[in-house]
Amino acid sequence: MANEADAQKTLVDARGSSCPGPITDLAMAYRRAKKGDVIELWGTDPGMPPDVKAWAEKTHNEVVSIETQADKIVAVVRILNR
Amino acid sequence: MADKLAIVMYSGTADKFIPLGVLSQAAAAMGTQVEIFVTGFALRGFTAQKQELPFPVEFAAMAPALGQGLQQAKVASWDKMLRQAKDLGAKVHACSMMSEVMGLKLGDFNDLVDDMVGAATFLQEAEGGQVLFI
Repeated sequence: MANEADAQKTLVDARGSSCPGPITDLAMAYRRAKKGDVIELWGTDPGMPPDVKAWAEKTHNEVVSIETQADKIVAVVRILNR
Repeated sequence: MADKLAIVMYSGTADKFIPLGVLSQAAAAMGTQVEIFVTGFALRGFTAQKQELPFPVEFAAMAPALGQGLQQAKVASWDKMLRQAKDLGAKVHACSMMSEVMGLKLGDFNDLVDDMVGAATFLQEAEGGQVLFI
C-alpha cells in the first residue's frame, strides 16, 4: 500500500503537441508512476479534456480536475490503479 | 470497451497512414493491446529501403495544404506515432502471402515489423477485439 507521504506530483508538459501526443505523454508518465501519485498534464490540443476522461476511465484512474485556461488546458490525474 | 484493437493495414497511400499512426498510438496509450496486420500495398510503407508513399489521385490537389497543416499542428509522422505505439506494446505483423507476392522477405522490412504471419494467426490474435480495416 502506497504511503500518502510518498506520493509524488509530476508535471507533464504536452503543450503544442497534437492528438494523440498529450494522452501518450500521460501514459508514459503513468508507466513511471505509483499508486497515489498525481500527474499534472499541460496541453493545448482541444481534444484533451474528453480524452483525459476517457483515458482515466479506461485505465481506472481518477480525474481530479480539468481546467481550460487562457493559454493551456490543465488536467490533474490521481493514480489509483497501479 | 474491447481491450484489444486489431488493425488490418491494407492501403498504400500516404493519407491512410495517418489514422494508422494516430489510432495505434492512442489505443496503446489507453492500455489497449494493439495488433497490426500489414498487407497489400501498405507493405510498401514498411520496407527497410524507404519508399515514397503516393497520395490518392482524387486528393492530390489537397496534399500540399494537408502537409503544411500537419506540420503547423506539429503532428508527428505516422512512423513516429507507430514507434511510440510499439514502445507501449503494439505489435506489427507482415502478411506472409502478400509479402511473397510483392517479393519481400522478413529481412526486407524495417524494424517496425515484428514478424511475418498468416491470416489465421492474425484472426486468432484479433479475436474478441475491435477490428479496423484501413
